Amino acid sequence: MRNRSPAFWLFIAPVLVALMLVVGVPLLMGFFYTFTDWNGLGFNQFVGFEHYSRLLGDDRFLSSLWFTIQFSFVSVILLNIIGLGLALIVTQKLKTSNFLRTIFFMPNLIGGLILGFIWQFIFINVFGQIGQFMNVDGLQGWLSTPTTGFWGLVILTVWQLAGYIMIIYIAYLQNVPGELIEASQIDGAGPVQRFKNVTFPLIAPAFTVSMFLTLSVSFKIYDQNLSLTDGGPFNSTEMVAMNIVYTAFDSNEMAYGQAKAVVFLIFVSIIAISQVYYNKKREVEM
Amino acid sequence: MGSMKKFNGWLLLGSAGMILTACNGDDEAAEGTDDGEDTNGDVVDVEIFQGKVEFRDQFIELSELYEEENPNVNIEFSAVGGGTDYFSTLRSRFSSGDEPDVFSLAGPSELNDYEDNVLDLSDHPAVDEAIDGTLEGATDGDGNIRGIPFQQEGYGLLYNKRMFDEAGIDADEILTYEDLEEAVETLDDQKDELGIDGVFALPGAEAWVMGDHLANTYLSPEFNGDMMEAYESDTVDFERADEMERMLMLQNDYSIEPVLNMDYSQQVEEYFSLERTAMIQQGDWVHPTLEQMDPEFANEHVGVLPLPVEDYEGHIPVDVPNYWAINEGAEDDVIEEAEAFFEWMYTDEEGIAAVQDKLDMIPAHEGFDVDEIDAPIQQEIYEYVLEENTLGWIFTGYPQGWGTDFGAHVQEYLSGGRDWDDVIEAGQEEWEQSRE
Repeated sequence: MRNRSPAFWLFIAPVLVALMLVVGVPLLMGFFYTFTDWNGLGFNQFVGFEHYSRLLGDDRFLSSLWFTIQFSFVSVILLNIIGLGLALIVTQKLKTSNFLRTIFFMPNLIGGLILGFIWQFIFINVFGQIGQFMNVDGLQGWLSTPTTGFWGLVILTVWQLAGYIMIIYIAYLQNVPGELIEASQIDGAGPVQRFKNVTFPLIAPAFTVSMFLTLSVSFKIYDQNLSLTDGGPFNSTEMVAMNIVYTAFDSNEMAYGQAKAVVFLIFVSIIAISQVYYNKKREVEM
Repeated sequence: MGSMKKFNGWLLLGSAGMILTACNGDDEAAEGTDDGEDTNGDVVDVEIFQGKVEFRDQFIELSELYEEENPNVNIEFSAVGGGTDYFSTLRSRFSSGDEPDVFSLAGPSELNDYEDNVLDLSDHPAVDEAIDGTLEGATDGDGNIRGIPFQQEGYGLLYNKRMFDEAGIDADEILTYEDLEEAVETLDDQKDELGIDGVFALPGAEAWVMGDHLANTYLSPEFNGDMMEAYESDTVDFERADEMERMLMLQNDYSIEPVLNMDYSQQVEEYFSLERTAMIQQGDWVHPTLEQMDPEFANEHVGVLPLPVEDYEGHIPVDVPNYWAINEGAEDDVIEEAEAFFEWMYTDEEGIAAVQDKLDMIPAHEGFDVDEIDAPIQQEIYEYVLEENTLGWIFTGYPQGWGTDFGAHVQEYLSGGRDWDDVIEAGQEEWEQSRE
């Protein structure tokens, strides 16, 4: 790292201290607790790596991890496609584009818990009623099977976050220089070619940001999961965050829950860092 | 124009942020003034922390009544959501040093966790007055009583009296499983006349309804209805697994569909109180909700049937869900006042009258009058208590989290993804594992 002047450190000291206190110290303490039989109130003995080795045979944890991976995979793809799609719509010269932006962004302002309950109502009651009325079996009994629970969560997340991702894409789309577009038009590029060869490479940084955001958000989802399905039916839609909370506060195994959280942290960091690294390489400098 | 558009979203974000901070500010201000008042004068503050949000307002009224007579005491009731949330909040309050003076505990496993923190209440008058069999869950390894039973709760099949009358069923004659099955079939035949969607509403989304309550009914006999026996047992036999399956399937087969995404509020509010179902498996705690929905229905048309258990026909599972525990680390005068408050609440004539007036509950202490219980479910269950036709709750003695896990297996069985023997085996294995 480059040498900085003392003033540099002086100015960032407040942030550094605050960050250490609320993130650094608890992280280290938590890491320490994973080697003990801590129950939230105190601990009696050190257990070494017992919690970590137990994790490997914990079917419920592994299945929640697998569920989370599947969920993140699907929602990251859908979120970016829909987010970019919305951004393209509202950057066209439409009269209603300002209004549309507000509407698309709106779901983001509602808290995840409330959204979960609203969608629970939609999936169970509204879907159920429509299904009954139109005699479509596929619309009935939503959230009562693992598959509908999965797609319910995906729909909810995409609906909530697509507007936010849209904002990011809008910012980058508007920074695409008009002269490049114009030049490509003169060269005879059609709309598809123009998007593929000019716009797309130039908004690559937006992908980095959005992929990172959507990936880490969908990995860590908890409140939507809690209010929409609460892990049900039979824990099949339980995500890792919820599994950790359950272990710590319901089964009352604080140290074991903490060990799961550490593994989860490492897991998410590896994915996020490698993904940022890979995407950075693809970006075009102007 | 372009830059204007860009900032639109940020504006929205910013305003949302401002609204959020405004809310926070209000909260802090309110707390601040509260603390200011407390420091004036020689008032002893007793902070009571508990997990029954549904009783919060009534508790506050009760404590106000007490404070009028005892101006030197200020009782502060705070409550956090049901079950899990309460205990995790309690835990974090203890680990952060912000310990409440009085708090509630549910049974032996919590008592075990907080054993070093709770006062020995063996000589407290409210403990002397407690009805036999209500103290098991608050007794520590040395036989000392560490908590005052708060109230009792019981559950069974709540049924709609009007529908039973219309269908010509006499609820008093339903004792055995066969009787119940017959009644269910009669109701099912008259579904259209009664205007119901299903005889039962089984809330498949609530693991506790099956894992805690239903399982408890059929596990209680093998532990002699003693939660301590369950708490100390290394194994669970499931002697009555077949009976449990039979009862579960009866509810499932005649339930409103789909079962697996039905939750508690749908079961109680949407289906039972709006008379779209004839029976639900629930307990006396639904009374306030029913009353809110429809006072006439709640007070006149609801009855309780025991879940049929062979050799224990006509028995209702009743026990103490919560105990009051006093923090040993509190100041001496606070402990004194807290003890005095509970003495008033459970043994003083005026206190008892106030409690019966404010709270709809099944008493756990002698000295309460069965005729003074207004809520019909509570009253009916209390009659079972007086006749000693009760089954003890053992699910407070389950290994922690076992009930919800087992409930999840039952859900899997209901979805057709697992057979019953497998469910029982998984339950036995998990029990043994957590008791190792």
